[in-house]
Amino acid sequence: MAATSDTIRFFNRELSWLEFNQRVLDEALNADVPTLERLKFLAITASNLDEFFMVRVGGLKLISAAGVTAQDPAGLTPREQLDRIGDRVRRMVRDQYACFLKTLDPALAAAGIQRVAASQLTRPQRRHLEAQFNPTCFSVVCPLAIHPEAPAPLLAGLVLHLAVRLEPREDKKPRFAVLPLAQPLPRFISLPGEARHTTILLEDAARASVTTFFPGETVLEAAVFRLTRNADLSVQNEDAADFVAEMQQVLDARRQSRCVRLEIEAGASAELVAEVRRLLEVEEADVYAVPGPLALSDFMALTSLDGFADLREKPWPPQPSLTLTGTAGLFDILDHRDILLVHPYDAYDPVLALLEEAAADPQVLAIKQILYRTSRQSRIIAALRRAAESGKYVTVVLELKARFDEARNMDWARELERTGVKVFYGVKDLKTHAKACLVVRKHPQGIIRYAHFGTGNYNEATARLYTDVSYLTSNPDLTADAAAFFNAITGYSQPVPYRKLIAAPARLRARLIELIEGEAERARQGQPARIDAKINSLVDREIIEALYAASQAGVTIRLNVRGICCLRPGVPGLSERITVLSVVDRYLEHARIFRFHRGGEEQVFFSSADWMRRNLDRRIELMIPVDAAACKAHLLEILEAGLQDTAKGRLLHPDGSYAAARPGRGQKAVRSQKALYDAACRRAEDARQDKRTVFEPHRPPDA
Amino acid sequence: MSPDTTPAQDAKPSRVLAVVDIGASSIRLHIASADAAGVVRPLDTARQTVELGKDTFKRGEIAAETTERCVAALRSFRRLLDEYGVSDPAQIRAVATTAVREASNGESFLDRLYIATGINVEAIDEGEVNRYTYLSVKPVLDADPAFRKADALIVEVGGGGTRFLALQAGRVAVAQSHRMGALRIREMLEGIHTPASRLPDLLASQVESAVKEIRHSVPLSGKPALLMLGNDARFAASILQENWNPETATRLRVSSLAKLADNLLRKPVDEIVRTHRLAYADAETLGPALLTYVRLAEAFDLPSVFVTGASVRDGIVAEMVRDTWTEELTAQVENSAVELGRRYGFEEPHGRNVARSARALFRVLQPEHRLEARYELLLVVAALLHEIGLYVGNRSHHKHSMYLIQNSDIFGLGNRDREIAALVARYHRKALPQANHPEYMALDRDSRLAVSKLAAILRVADALDRRHGAGPSETRFDLAEGRLTITLRGIPDTVVEEIGLQLKGDLFREVYGLAVTLQTESV
Repeated sequence: MAATSDTIRFFNRELSWLEFNQRVLDEALNADVPTLERLKFLAITASNLDEFFMVRVGGLKLISAAGVTAQDPAGLTPREQLDRIGDRVRRMVRDQYACFLKTLDPALAAAGIQRVAASQLTRPQRRHLEAQFNPTCFSVVCPLAIHPEAPAPLLAGLVLHLAVRLEPREDKKPRFAVLPLAQPLPRFISLPGEARHTTILLEDAARASVTTFFPGETVLEAAVFRLTRNADLSVQNEDAADFVAEMQQVLDARRQSRCVRLEIEAGASAELVAEVRRLLEVEEADVYAVPGPLALSDFMALTSLDGFADLREKPWPPQPSLTLTGTAGLFDILDHRDILLVHPYDAYDPVLALLEEAAADPQVLAIKQILYRTSRQSRIIAALRRAAESGKYVTVVLELKARFDEARNMDWARELERTGVKVFYGVKDLKTHAKACLVVRKHPQGIIRYAHFGTGNYNEATARLYTDVSYLTSNPDLTADAAAFFNAITGYSQPVPYRKLIAAPARLRARLIELIEGEAERARQGQPARIDAKINSLVDREIIEALYAASQAGVTIRLNVRGICCLRPGVPGLSERITVLSVVDRYLEHARIFRFHRGGEEQVFFSSADWMRRNLDRRIELMIPVDAAACKAHLLEILEAGLQDTAKGRLLHPDGSYAAARPGRGQKAVRSQKALYDAACRRAEDARQDKRTVFEPHRPPDA
Repeated sequence: MSPDTTPAQDAKPSRVLAVVDIGASSIRLHIASADAAGVVRPLDTARQTVELGKDTFKRGEIAAETTERCVAALRSFRRLLDEYGVSDPAQIRAVATTAVREASNGESFLDRLYIATGINVEAIDEGEVNRYTYLSVKPVLDADPAFRKADALIVEVGGGGTRFLALQAGRVAVAQSHRMGALRIREMLEGIHTPASRLPDLLASQVESAVKEIRHSVPLSGKPALLMLGNDARFAASILQENWNPETATRLRVSSLAKLADNLLRKPVDEIVRTHRLAYADAETLGPALLTYVRLAEAFDLPSVFVTGASVRDGIVAEMVRDTWTEELTAQVENSAVELGRRYGFEEPHGRNVARSARALFRVLQPEHRLEARYELLLVVAALLHEIGLYVGNRSHHKHSMYLIQNSDIFGLGNRDREIAALVARYHRKALPQANHPEYMALDRDSRLAVSKLAAILRVADALDRRHGAGPSETRFDLAEGRLTITLRGIPDTVVEEIGLQLKGDLFREVYGLAVTLQTESV
């Protein structure tokens, strides 16, 4: 991707995202990475592209179809963006399949994960299929006849379908049918075999018995295809009472919206492709011929097979928190100090402990929690239920618009309400993206409140996959702010000014600009001025312009931007003092941490918000200042480690390309995630040492 | 608000207290915890917009829709209270001010709130609000050297009225409220359908007349420190002074404040709402309120003013924490009474003597009358002011005293308290309380009993000070075995006092049934 001239101040957002996806693909192409990890990265690039097409490409198509020709900050019209995206994606798909077919698939086979083609089925395997798979398949799959005059059947997005061409009848007219291979059919069907793990793909198994669906017919051809529908529809939320019903409508509407991409096997005949295109009303530019198995995202399932440790990275178990190993409860500890955790290096348990102890403690009066993308069997949900059942006042702000978890979220909402939890369905027009929890507890000295603030969703599963910050505190200012925050988002009160917290959409943007401009002013006055920030996306124009101005004023700016970066670093006269690095490694970088030098009185924050317009203006977000010395130091450790990653770091160049960050001469490459894992292990070991040298007796409760 | 460090005599163990304040444009909830030593820490606040003032000041009554909005807000506050474990009604004090008091359906409005939410909201008058304001501001005054022992004018331009406390060398001289509030001004101007171009001028002239009246009522000669309270003042502070601390007094330049006020008055309300992210109710009162503060500052020729975040709610919590009135507050009330007496040219030594005796007698008779300490203060006020009616005329001067007390502002006393004091003063001579005295019968039974008990004491105390300057140097009261013994020192005999008691001891005999002995004691 090349920025065409130096007058272009911004990179295009979509193309920048595609380069992020490329960095993930690079990990799949990296021979130093174990096979199953490479497969994981490859699967992620595929599911990433699915979401990209559904949301971003879908959105662009809508505005392009509406006749919008306005240029984006990088100077491209929607049509131009779609064209460039198309080109770039085709290249990416080629690379994906080159990786899969030439490297990963053979490597998997060599390691004992065998994938059998329909033509290679042995007799026992065929019998196994006929006994185990075919009955389910036939009861679930319903062939749809395609008639040119009849309305097209409704085909679900992202589901594999077999397009079937049948022998014409007497009238010589071509005949087609479609077999949707939908849930509950598994993508991988286990087979008996000599390899450690033998499977056949769903579409191959279906194809092997395709004639059974059309008794008395001759099947000329059966090709796999998959459609992607536009998902960028907004929900009208006028009336809270109908809200839950409306979400249902959106889910229904998604099934019906226009097709933005058609993936079809490269071997399909032109006639079949044309028919499917006609059926789905897809333009030629949106057809992607795929030279291998479709939906590589499904291959994620193979990465969690039992065994095959040699194909994986060594596990990095989350380290127990030094704090919870004693006899003191979490509340007692928080009464004396704050706890800062960085997951998954630090285990997520203390966060769960906060809620579980709160649920069990008779002194706890109330719990308030924001939920968004929580896992299904969450310990958190269970704890909240227990708390409500034992008479505590539990309030949950449930973000219903968490993109693809909407269906899941609705079930729990009703379940929680049944147990007495007061559930609020988010805030009108604003997605609640902040992650916070508040516990109100009685003490002999009065009321003490405890808060948890985080950058990650309350989800034990993703807490092992993403890097995120958790901050537990009983600090009076922060907990008072948390209480005021919950009052505001539940409508109990108009927003009141916060003492420490900074929230979007009210103050966050303005405060960030103030902090950046403050640093710029210091630089102008000759003070050393620095800004370090770790974020996931940098898209917002106002923020980028402020950073440009700060760079021109003399501020040294180091940015660790995992994904989309619309800022052009290192351009003379514009952004000479700005460097941008991206780290893509086994954990998805998700924490957002900022440091402003402020002449030596450094201010460190972490936040739920990225630097994008949607975060700063259209979502409820929090930015939390961390003043407690030990916690601040810990955050800075994370920040520095990422900025100095010379193993998985990629530097962004002024022309938009990324190149590996190399260690200095004579220095070893530093892999930030490994370094942070090692540091967490050391801390945990030190704590264990302390336990062995300093004895902690069991004291009677009133001592 | 800020920790109140005066040790509390009847402090309870740590507990959570809540105040609900229903004002002209919003309902606020304030939850605080008070520990065993009486130190108050704010816990949570909530605020919802309910435009009661708009209803009352424009149409004189509260609309049904507004009432239901209020109910909804209180219900959500009820939930917050539950979350902090505030369940005992004694932990909650709910008050409503001008917008409810002046509404013709104010009583039924409060009834509706009680029925719907279980929260008992009381309409309080300006006298009580002034007391709470004083209590809330006192920690700030004590903490800042600029205020201690200085002249100060504490002003709050509310929606329905402008309240002010004038302190002279730290003592409350005047506590009044003026019926021009920012919202009322706005409503009035909108009510008479003024063309938009004339609005700023009319507004300015309303503010001018209000300021003139206030200036006139304030007996401060020099340049007092002007301390602003209230939502609009707090907004100005947040704009003009980054990171201002609401717990202390922050200085603002009048010129900057004037510029801000001018700026806001020129902008349409929509723009103010958008730019500053305020509620409409808040945005509407900003301009008029800030203009009032500016003009007031100019009337006193002040280059700068102060602002603090203290509010009536803090004062209410302070009072809840210690349940009784501090000595300091009591002294302020008495000062205010003395000021009032001086205004009407009362004979100060006589008033003070009677007050002293009355107080002593009240305390000695505590087991008999069993009245709360607050009534001692009302008795003292009545004792100080029992003869101000002489200003009007000699005949029936006791009735004039009652009238003057009823219609004057005495700092710290609400309407009910003032009524009681007025009636006690009325009954210091001549007729005893009777069923055909309308003011007496307008009181509830408990108050009527209190009046009788206190008036009985006052008559005795008055009887003991008839020598006009040559009275006893010391008076002692002892109660034993059904007999009250009054010992007077420094006079040759008790003849004058005996006659006095004959004339005025009638109510005492009726109420207390005690035998009274007078005796002298040589010095």
